[in-house]
Amino acid sequence: MRRIVSRTGYMILILVLSSIAVFYAIRLSGGDATAAALPASTTAEQREAFRERLGLTAPIYVQYFEYAGRILSGDLGNSLTNNADIGDMLIRHGKNSLILGAAAFVLVFAIGIPLGIWASVRRNRAADQGIMTFSVVGMAIPNFWLALLAIWLFASTFHLLPSAGCCELRHLILPAVVLAFEGIALTVRMTRSAMLENLGQDWVRTTRAAGLGEIRVIGKHAFRNALIPIISLAGLRIGQIVGYALVVETIFGWPGLGQVLVNAVLRRDYPVAQFFSLVLVALVVIGNWLADLGYVAANPRLRRA
Amino acid sequence: MSEQDGANPVLSLLNLTTTIRSEGHTFDVVRGLSLDIYPNEIVCLVGESGCGKTMAALSVMRLLPEAAEITGGSIRFKGRELVSASERDIRAIRAEEISMIFQDPLTSLDPSFTVGSILKELIKVHRGGDNASATELALATLVEVDFPDAHSRMGAYPHQLSGGMRQRVMIAMALALDPDLLIADEPTTALDVTVQAQILDRLAEEQRQRQMAMLLITHDLAVVASVAHRVAVMYSGEIVEQAPVDQLFADPQHPYTQGLIHALPHVSPRKEPLYSIPGRVPPPQFTPPGCYFAPRCPYAIERCWKDHPPLELDGGRLLRCFNPQAFASL
Repeated sequence: MRRIVSRTGYMILILVLSSIAVFYAIRLSGGDATAAALPASTTAEQREAFRERLGLTAPIYVQYFEYAGRILSGDLGNSLTNNADIGDMLIRHGKNSLILGAAAFVLVFAIGIPLGIWASVRRNRAADQGIMTFSVVGMAIPNFWLALLAIWLFASTFHLLPSAGCCELRHLILPAVVLAFEGIALTVRMTRSAMLENLGQDWVRTTRAAGLGEIRVIGKHAFRNALIPIISLAGLRIGQIVGYALVVETIFGWPGLGQVLVNAVLRRDYPVAQFFSLVLVALVVIGNWLADLGYVAANPRLRRA
Repeated sequence: MSEQDGANPVLSLLNLTTTIRSEGHTFDVVRGLSLDIYPNEIVCLVGESGCGKTMAALSVMRLLPEAAEITGGSIRFKGRELVSASERDIRAIRAEEISMIFQDPLTSLDPSFTVGSILKELIKVHRGGDNASATELALATLVEVDFPDAHSRMGAYPHQLSGGMRQRVMIAMALALDPDLLIADEPTTALDVTVQAQILDRLAEEQRQRQMAMLLITHDLAVVASVAHRVAVMYSGEIVEQAPVDQLFADPQHPYTQGLIHALPHVSPRKEPLYSIPGRVPPPQFTPPGCYFAPRCPYAIERCWKDHPPLELDGGRLLRCFNPQAFASL
């Protein structure tokens, strides 16, 4: 219980610190905020007046507190390019990202865990070696290249799936698999080593001596213990998926948070870039926090400690 | 108490040989072991670490590690051959008819499940039945093995229990289904001395009440003296001497047995160093051609270095020695 409280406090601290970092980074990254909002013919005085109106001339820490106050009161501001309400953008694009991210997350574990268990049971045999080779390849291939490869193979060559678009199942398949790929490879490895570690423990012999079948010994007892490290890494997979979503959403034209952020940065639409950077940071931090909670929940030795 | 007239042995090992493969080499860790265990008796298998006691027990349970396998002989349990039995048949026998208790209770229980769920799973897998009847039997067995506060501690995880309590859980697992044979592999070695006696008494008491056969593996002759009916002394994978417990302690014949008994610590007014048998058990891959014990034996004669002595019956005793000497206080 104390661990949960301390972890939660720690998460909030990280959220605050990272929001400051994001705020400064956006302001120190150079570029002209007025370029996005005003036509090219605008005079220097008009641009200065515009900056004044947005509060950009105040010291950065003052801007930060004003911004934090507005965000906490629910006023997320508007885009500089099309004046769209950022709250509406969050809902519309957030939903798409949630679909893609959840699909990738499910794939990571629905494929990674069974393959890892299979590899551990067939240790050092052909199936294990095949799965581990796949895992090395999966970790080595950069996802932007894998995305291009997938488009070339499944969209351009065989015309099985669309190369880009939204928001039907057929649009979802390629980006979800590409997004999940590295996570699957890591989860296979993680599961295999956690299973092997547990299958070598003394208590496995006890469960066999109790006359339990191999399905129970491996699928219930060894797996239940292997789940502890797997769960603790599940939160980190959330962070990884969020990070890769920028690239994958952009390549596959999936209108999610990552695509919005990339476009906003390119257009110097700083209120949008700032807010969505914060959202992604928050997702990663919350993912890690969930991993901590899951680790405690899965491990009886920590639960009542 | 041993070899009761007319009774058939519960377990009968005949020339059991268990082999380990390691880095391309193979060597026998159990070599032609023959041993009968009758109903309602405690047989102690005694010997130093590395002499093959545990491997023999794991062979009976068919729980050998991956690198080891049974390469010869037979294991007959209540008339059935276990060496060639199917995995499925063996699973049905484990815990139901033959149970095993392991040495280290701290690492022998699955840390992620409660005491109650471990016991109930064992009962339901073998007996079927509903949760309520499994709970009832689990609880009754825990109470029987003197597990304190059994009712409230059914929900405890192994890490919340002391070593002695965990060993009681192991004993409850082993006894819940009322087996015909209990194999206890150094059940008290990892425990505090005070707890050792309690656990040992409990095991002996259960054996007497249930009239089951028990194979107790130990290196501790004090344990042997307090509970055994019959003793088999093992050296380097084979039995060197076997006798009823009184006979063995009163008149040990094999030099190795004599050494073990002589090495027992005893209270003495004089400060004398503890005796220990010189040398140690040869690793199974380097075995002397004659008697395996010859290099450590004070009475070895020329023949002991050349021929391997057979196990011969002498009265109620089995002995594997060419040159037995009367047990002097060395």
